[in-house]
Amino acid sequence: MQTLIMTVSDLHKTYGKPGTKQYEALKGIDFSVQPGEFVGIMGASGSGKTTLLNMLATLDQPTSGEVTIHQQPITHLKGNQLADFRAKEIGFIFQDFNLLETMTAFENIALPLTLQKVATKKIKPAVEAVASQLGIQDFLSNYPNELSGGQKQRVAAARALINEPAMLFGDEPTGALDSKSARELLDLFTKINWEQAVSILLVTHDPFSASFCQRILFIKDGKIGQELQRGTTSRTDFYQQILDNLGTFEQ
Amino acid sequence: MLTKLALTGFKNRWRDYLVLFSGLIMSSAIFYMFEALATNQDFLKQNTSISMVGIIFQFGSVLLTIITLVYISYANSFLLSMRKRDYGLFMLVGARKSKIGQLIWLETLLVGIVATVVGVAIGTGLTAGISQLLINSMNLSLHHLAAWYFPAALTTLLLYVGLFLLAGLFNLITLTKTPALKLLHSNEQPNRPQLKPGRQILEVIIGLVAIGIGYWSMANLGTLQLAGIGIALVTIVLGTYFLFNAIFVWLMVLLKRLPFAQRGLNGFTLSQLSFRIRNYTKMLSIVAMLFALALGAITVGMGFHTQTPLMAASSNAYDMGIVNATSAEKRQITALNPTTNVTYHFKAGKKAVYYQASEFNQHPFTTIEMRAKAQLDYKRVTQNAKQLSKSSLIYQLMQLQGSQHQQTAPVFLSSQDYQKLPQTEQHLTVFATNDVTQHLAGLKQLATTQRHRDKGLDKGMLGGRYGNYVMINGMYSGLEFMGLFLGIAFLAMLASCLMFKILSGADADKHRYVMLDKIGTTKRQLRGAINKEIAVLFILPGIVGVIHVLFGLQMFKMLMITSPYTGIWLPFVIFAGLYLLYYLLTINIYQRIVLQ
Repeated sequence: MQTLIMTVSDLHKTYGKPGTKQYEALKGIDFSVQPGEFVGIMGASGSGKTTLLNMLATLDQPTSGEVTIHQQPITHLKGNQLADFRAKEIGFIFQDFNLLETMTAFENIALPLTLQKVATKKIKPAVEAVASQLGIQDFLSNYPNELSGGQKQRVAAARALINEPAMLFGDEPTGALDSKSARELLDLFTKINWEQAVSILLVTHDPFSASFCQRILFIKDGKIGQELQRGTTSRTDFYQQILDNLGTFEQ
Repeated sequence: MLTKLALTGFKNRWRDYLVLFSGLIMSSAIFYMFEALATNQDFLKQNTSISMVGIIFQFGSVLLTIITLVYISYANSFLLSMRKRDYGLFMLVGARKSKIGQLIWLETLLVGIVATVVGVAIGTGLTAGISQLLINSMNLSLHHLAAWYFPAALTTLLLYVGLFLLAGLFNLITLTKTPALKLLHSNEQPNRPQLKPGRQILEVIIGLVAIGIGYWSMANLGTLQLAGIGIALVTIVLGTYFLFNAIFVWLMVLLKRLPFAQRGLNGFTLSQLSFRIRNYTKMLSIVAMLFALALGAITVGMGFHTQTPLMAASSNAYDMGIVNATSAEKRQITALNPTTNVTYHFKAGKKAVYYQASEFNQHPFTTIEMRAKAQLDYKRVTQNAKQLSKSSLIYQLMQLQGSQHQQTAPVFLSSQDYQKLPQTEQHLTVFATNDVTQHLAGLKQLATTQRHRDKGLDKGMLGGRYGNYVMINGMYSGLEFMGLFLGIAFLAMLASCLMFKILSGADADKHRYVMLDKIGTTKRQLRGAINKEIAVLFILPGIVGVIHVLFGLQMFKMLMITSPYTGIWLPFVIFAGLYLLYYLLTINIYQRIVLQ
């Protein structure tokens, strides 16, 4: 068996200081991700899925428990180590794109490379390669506000992928897109996942987005309630399966 | 209910309001400081012999009003951007436009009045503090200076309240005309930096020509008189604006193409700068003007200050002459470590003061001889009795002879002739220290005891370098004070302008830095990017300001005896130090806001 790309063990997160009114958002989460796996995390609003993603993606620190990515424990990273880790090992795609509106698409995509002080000569070919892979090579000189939502999200994906991260995290990446753009983006994820063996972890409450995943973890009230494997099922059947599951799960 | 809502909005954004308030308070305090001098006619008349000063202050008032106008329009758009979302929300929950209008009007006026009143109070305190500081450290003598001056307070209040009434009206129209949804989502949209070569070349040409005219009219103030100041003011402001507008955009686009832009966060910094280009050009032109005014005022003030002892030194070779100095006084003189200290004996007749030639042959008397047209070009000539009796410079000895003999010519006699004179013998002690300004306290004490003994000296002039120093200092104190005081005021205005503009954008920048942090930027890189961005905004107007000053000093060739460029490095260094402090303060506050 291959080494796991990510392991999560007994992850807890409590908000509020001891003595005050506390709220436990995560109540012990355990799971792991295989290299090249496409995992979805589903749950209703307030189920703790965004909290979980923030822990996994080093944006927040858990109260207890451990997360490793590439065998490296990440929950206690600080300062430059944390920044380096974010820059090299993981990529993010957010619902609201999080592009710098003051920079062109090219500059946005190149940013992680310039931050890592990659030689200027290597930057342009790298950006062009990832851009053509994502079909945005014609928009590179545009500013974000000159792009459609789908294009913006592909620029964000290009920026997340340019450092060839071990894990790609998506927080409702299709949330702000129309259905056609959403489908295109998800197809793109599938393609990248397939061709480059990038592990993807997608947080969503949208069954359609989730149906592109290979495995789905359902979160309810801070715990993993259920797990669904796609196996060899077709995507449309898997979609139906998710809908049925959600129906019973949320009851 | 809405008032309550409005107040909650106030509480939630206290940090932004703090920036807004401190900016406005600073601005009104400085305006008051300026007006405290400008409207005080007694002060202006008493302390300067130059009639133009009053009119220069009038021009200054106009300029400051224009700057205030721009400043308040910035402050107002900052206020508006803070409140837009809240007002949009009020509209969504069904508040009437008239009610919201009232609220906007009330809030704008309230902010304005509170800031102005506090500003005037602080301005009064600053005026008192700074003037005391200057008077003590620069040995100035001033009359009719009042820290609290009612007409100045009234002018400040009227101008600010007037401007805020206008601003309130503007806000009312903007907010009530805009649909609620648009208010809710009115985030800044970046405009693509555009290169229009034709237009920009035209702007550069207009800018250069305008600045050229301005520089020329400052250098030819003698012929142009007052019109010259007016012309210079308008042309330099316009020229600076056009130059910034044309060159700044172009520079950013050009820099972005260099490999330099692809290292670290440089590209991000350049984008940040070009993103706000439109706003910044206006502000940078103003800051460059203020920079020039502040630095110019301080340079001129310090110029007069260094000029005073130089002029005093050209009047006499000795600090003071004391008739019949007591042994206590002699001890005091020795305590000053004089470079020369000679006592001549004399007998005073009705038509002449008789000295022994031998004493002057033994200790020749030093006179100051003017050489060229320039007033400070002189040489020291030591003269014995024979030379001195023929010299026209003998008046320099007469000046030292005390009030009774100041008009009486010295005659040098042989010892025998001198002995035969029936009058009682007296003696005159003349001495010089290395530098009058370093022994002011000791010299003042000597002058006081001397005046006490020689009542005539009260009205008449105390001869020698010290007496001249006191007189010239009295003449120039007003100018020195105005220069330094205004310099400090303009510097504070400039800094608060720049800080306000930069900090008011900090909130909008926050999410960009959060995002950079998420994609793996180290804190060091983030801080570096902030430092660079703000450094550019400080340095650009600084360079332009320095150039303006170097040309602007031409104006003072008429007023000053020494070249206005003498010892120019000192005010420049002091100014650079203060400017650096403001820069450090700004990046510190900015980093606190943006990086938490």
